[in-house]
Amino acid sequence: MRPELKEKIERRENTLNRVIELLISGLQLDRSYEELDPDTPLFGTGLGLDSVDAVEIVVALESEFGVSLDDGDSMFALRTINSLVDVVLHQSEDNFDDGN
Amino acid sequence: MTETEVGYHAIRNSVAFAEEPKLRCLQLTGSQAFDALDAVCPCDIFLQDGQMKHTLLLDDTGIPFADVYVCREGENAYLIGYGSSADEIANWITHHATDITDFSIVDLSESYDNLTIDGPYAWELCAEVFGPDILGLPYLGMLVLDAMFVFRAGRTGEYGYHLLVPTDQKDSWVENLLATGAAFEMARADESVRAQCVLENFFFDINREGQYHLTPLELQLQWRLSSQKNAYPGAEAIHTHRQSGWTRRLTCFTTPDPVNADAEITCEDEIVGHVLVAGYSPARGDYVGKALLRQPYWHAGLDAFQVGGIPLKTISAPAINNLSLKVSPYRHSFHTRGEDLI
Repeated sequence: MRPELKEKIERRENTLNRVIELLISGLQLDRSYEELDPDTPLFGTGLGLDSVDAVEIVVALESEFGVSLDDGDSMFALRTINSLVDVVLHQSEDNFDDGN
Repeated sequence: MTETEVGYHAIRNSVAFAEEPKLRCLQLTGSQAFDALDAVCPCDIFLQDGQMKHTLLLDDTGIPFADVYVCREGENAYLIGYGSSADEIANWITHHATDITDFSIVDLSESYDNLTIDGPYAWELCAEVFGPDILGLPYLGMLVLDAMFVFRAGRTGEYGYHLLVPTDQKDSWVENLLATGAAFEMARADESVRAQCVLENFFFDINREGQYHLTPLELQLQWRLSSQKNAYPGAEAIHTHRQSGWTRRLTCFTTPDPVNADAEITCEDEIVGHVLVAGYSPARGDYVGKALLRQPYWHAGLDAFQVGGIPLKTISAPAINNLSLKVSPYRHSFHTRGEDLI
């Protein structure tokens, strides 16, 4: 496997692991790490989270990753575990590009 | 626009209507109706009145054979969904709910017909046609309106309602729907259009990827299973799969050109998976699909794949952002949508 691809996969995997751990510990989810699939919906069906949980997630993302969600982003960013990972990776790449 | 395009446009932008004879609807009555469901369903059966829960029915090897909602209304339980026939599901429940005797199962499709309404403004049309109580129905909620059952659930990513109406009333309800629906630019959406919407939103389709004998772990459907429960058909197999680990996962993807089901997916000349389902996404303007990819290639956000020379990129599901996420029954209306959503 090319080093760039390997690095990309590792970055994705590491971020996914951290987001799942954040959800389990921050929301006291009654699920183990292995039971949380990346494309699991967060609200309604899926994990069945509510608006209070949404606030918890937004706060936790900011504190853990320095990621901020504006109102326009959040309804799409909070759809699944993977969509949270996308936001974290996207914003960290932006910060990297900006030299932050 | 073709009929297919009109149906798709209605689901994504206004309201679409379909009759779904393949939707199974079973009613369980008796003092042990919920015990019977608890014995066969892999989810926890703690349901409040009017609540629905999305789950699966699994065979003894842990493979889903039906994609179902379990529901409670008063003392009765309901099971609606797709997959095996109503008779097969009823017989299977009876076979597996051993020692549970005080319940009976009725196939509602013998006396009711299903009307499915989907779209960002489905709630508004349903309220006009069937009454305002529908407006207060939460997602995954059910209610009984006179002789009609209403289930709020859908697989298109838009507002969705399944209505079970008495067979002898169906024609008049359809007539009413068509008359009122004209002001909502309502259109009929056939099965293929609905399947495409299911694909775009990465909902499980028992008739497509459900035919590949994959476990809920490989299908990313573990959220449909209880984390506490260990006594249901297929539980032992699921436990074994979890213990041994799994190395393939269903992953959402996009391609700029069409690809076929079962086509091999390569990465740096190595076969890393297969396409299971794919189709055109009008909302995106490219093709979307579901692939079975092996570890560690099973992640979203990778653009290192090829299908016979066509580049394939994995993405997070769902593949589109649904208009329904922006539409609120409390603030919006189809008739003022131009100003509402600017």
